[in-house]
Amino acid sequence: MAGESNGAPPSGASIAQVAAPAPANEPLAATNPEKLTPAQLKAKAKAEKAARRAQVKEARAAVVTAPPTSQAGGAGADAKGGKGKGKQDGQLGGQGKGGHLHAHRPSVSGRRPSMPPVERDVRGGIPECFSHISMAKRIPLSQAHKDVHPAVLVIGQQMATFALKDSISRLRATLLAFRKVIEPYETPKGNSLSRHFVPHVLNPQIEYLTECRPMCFAMGNAIRLLKAKVNKFDIDTPEDEAKEGLLEWIDFLINERITLAEYVIAQNAAQSINDGDTIVTYGRHRLVEKTLLGAKKIGKSFDVTIIDDPYELGGQELATVLREAGIDVVYSPNLGGLRPKVAAASNLFLGGEAIFANGALQAPSGTADVAMAAMNAGAKVIVLCETINFDRERVSVDALTYNEIDPERCTAESFRLLFDNTHDKYITGVITEFEFGGGNSPAQAILALLRKQEDPLIA
Amino acid sequence: MAPSQPSHTPNLDKLIKSLRVQSLEASIESLIFLLKRRQVKGDECARATAQILRQVVAKSKWHDVDQLLSRVQSAGLRLTQAAPHEPVIGNIVRRVLGLIRDEACEDRNADDLGSEAASDIQSLAPTAPPPQKPALVPIRPAPSILTTGLQVSKSMFNLLSVADPGDTPMTGASTPMSQAQPASVHALRSEVMDGIEEILDEIHQADDQIASFADIQIHPGDYVLVYQPSRTVEKFLIKAASKRRFTVIIGSLDPPSPSATEAPYAALRKKLNAAGVQTINLASNGLMAYIPRVNKVIFGAKAVYQNGGLLVDSGSCIAAHAAHEYLKPVIVLCGVYKFCPEDPSDEVSQGALGNPSSFVSYGNGQAVNGLEIENTVTDYIPPELVDVYLTNLGPQTRHHLASILADHYKTEDIGFSFQLGEP
Repeated sequence: MAGESNGAPPSGASIAQVAAPAPANEPLAATNPEKLTPAQLKAKAKAEKAARRAQVKEARAAVVTAPPTSQAGGAGADAKGGKGKGKQDGQLGGQGKGGHLHAHRPSVSGRRPSMPPVERDVRGGIPECFSHISMAKRIPLSQAHKDVHPAVLVIGQQMATFALKDSISRLRATLLAFRKVIEPYETPKGNSLSRHFVPHVLNPQIEYLTECRPMCFAMGNAIRLLKAKVNKFDIDTPEDEAKEGLLEWIDFLINERITLAEYVIAQNAAQSINDGDTIVTYGRHRLVEKTLLGAKKIGKSFDVTIIDDPYELGGQELATVLREAGIDVVYSPNLGGLRPKVAAASNLFLGGEAIFANGALQAPSGTADVAMAAMNAGAKVIVLCETINFDRERVSVDALTYNEIDPERCTAESFRLLFDNTHDKYITGVITEFEFGGGNSPAQAILALLRKQEDPLIA
Repeated sequence: MAPSQPSHTPNLDKLIKSLRVQSLEASIESLIFLLKRRQVKGDECARATAQILRQVVAKSKWHDVDQLLSRVQSAGLRLTQAAPHEPVIGNIVRRVLGLIRDEACEDRNADDLGSEAASDIQSLAPTAPPPQKPALVPIRPAPSILTTGLQVSKSMFNLLSVADPGDTPMTGASTPMSQAQPASVHALRSEVMDGIEEILDEIHQADDQIASFADIQIHPGDYVLVYQPSRTVEKFLIKAASKRRFTVIIGSLDPPSPSATEAPYAALRKKLNAAGVQTINLASNGLMAYIPRVNKVIFGAKAVYQNGGLLVDSGSCIAAHAAHEYLKPVIVLCGVYKFCPEDPSDEVSQGALGNPSSFVSYGNGQAVNGLEIENTVTDYIPPELVDVYLTNLGPQTRHHLASILADHYKTEDIGFSFQLGEP
């Protein structure tokens, strides 16, 4: 029951189930379809369930007493049939219209007056003051745009379910999927790749991915670069050559900006650890993990305090991994006692999701609190971040500008934003794959460099 | 849940019920056990301490003020040692000690009057009967003024009273003394017990009095972040909800346990929603993301130290820091009885550690073996992060705390635990 009012994923099935009320209940629901408090919703759902049960019972009883031509039995069967049909209708409608912007609407055909509140439940549970923030949602495969490539469909689902979670793994998956989109691509007669590919092939993929979960800034950067790359091709470039060029370019991007970057950052960061340091980190981030393991491997002796987010528990996995590598670990399951813990530390290592043009770091919720406490306690706050995550256009002064709502916790009963913003002033330095100044510079310096640099990747 | 099963777990209410039947020693012991097991904690400690000290005054054997003081001191010391993490206990003990000193002072003064002047003086001035301490409302600022005025007579009388017990056996003239002492002992006993009753009333009413300031602090349309709302905060919000439309954002440190059937703070949220106040439960540790939306941060304190620093449930510190960063006011709700005339110790600022088993299960051998798990349950908040101390005497700033402390505690009682602790 709780799941239904809790904004369960809007898979067609669950909607149809909730929305198969006994006819007797419909007028009641129709009187106030707009604003239903969670309690009311719950009560309604309960009533519907009770009615449904009663009906089924009635039908069964009727079947038992007078199997072939019972009025009541007929009604019961009707109700069940209606439910099945509704589900089917929805799916067919979704495919027929093909507009994935309204992907979830057709399944909620206007036929049923009790539908609207259920449909609103997906985003309707979000408190008003956070309603501007976007949220990932699962789109049934059958409701996706017909032009979406299967590989993209898969990663779309993985992103919506947070199986692909952090920005870099999403970026890598996206680029690999785009490779699969490009490989079989054939330019239609009378068109050229540079004119046709982006609007007709690439954009539907991007739209679908955005629909599944708002793109991270790394993906945005990569796609911008990819489009620029495509536009650079001369109209007369042979298709094979252009495709070859694009595939090579994608490989190059993955290599340079992801694989090598990760290696270089981890190495630089590991070098910056001194013997006897106490390193604090928050949650579990790939780069921080690599750094700490790398530092241990090159013989540094240090210990680690892991501060975890009890709603994610990634830190616990990290703690086990580090422990196995022989690093002394103090594990703090929540942000309690933050001040004394960071006060004892020399460095705070943070991983980031993105860095904005004003130097603010977007990172998992709670990072800003830890960074602030560490900075106030005199520890160095070091952010590990690939340059592909730098956003050179957007400026974010608070976490409510660019953020995402956790689709699992999107109601007033339990609400959570995925990210927060760490102000520039709480970051001592950012370690990127650029090897200048020891690779350890304030975000603004790196941004300045990025701005000046003509992106060599497009040329 | 609680009433359905007449559980066997001891709690404060049972203890208070049993006070009449149990011997004093047994009552003290059972409270000490409750405190050690943390079955009595937080605000309950104040009430429990006052109740027990009331029993000490009523039941223990004492013949003069000093004996009474030392009885109360030693009982108080045992309680504070049983729960060093609850400074409120010490506060109440100090309050009671101060109360005894005041009453004794007045008493002696009255005795002086009675002995010097004839009994007709007393009959002439029945409007101010000395034994009946004027019910000074819970504020009690007057005692300090009174005592300074009466210091001389007190010290003079002290000479006599110290001499008394010594005299009695020597002279053998026990008759006059035994007549005089019981009367004054009896009077003092009932006065002190009345005084403790007043302290109990004060503790009882503190939440409501704090709540009466709710509509001054909360404005229509506000977004109020409350952190792990205590009963005091709940009353405050509900009171505010009767006058204002605002939104309450509830933060908490730990996720609800998977076995919990309803969302956290469901009862509070129901009440607030019924009054038209929206509520949002945050499922997040970090609060920086939400603070830009918030107008003010409210939470309760376990104790306020004399420098203005707070002892709080851990996590409130995150809220205070985040609010400070965005220059949002931090309002702390605490009864005056939580004001502690001490400085925070190092242990306090390090925070107390709690049970980690809700985060790492004992079944996870690898983690239990390899990890050092620190689940901090209390935090210290430095004074500069707090804007308003909202007490039952009204809103205060930290610059005014010293005078409140001076009004409520006697300097000689501040270190009572050390005085006894030495031998």
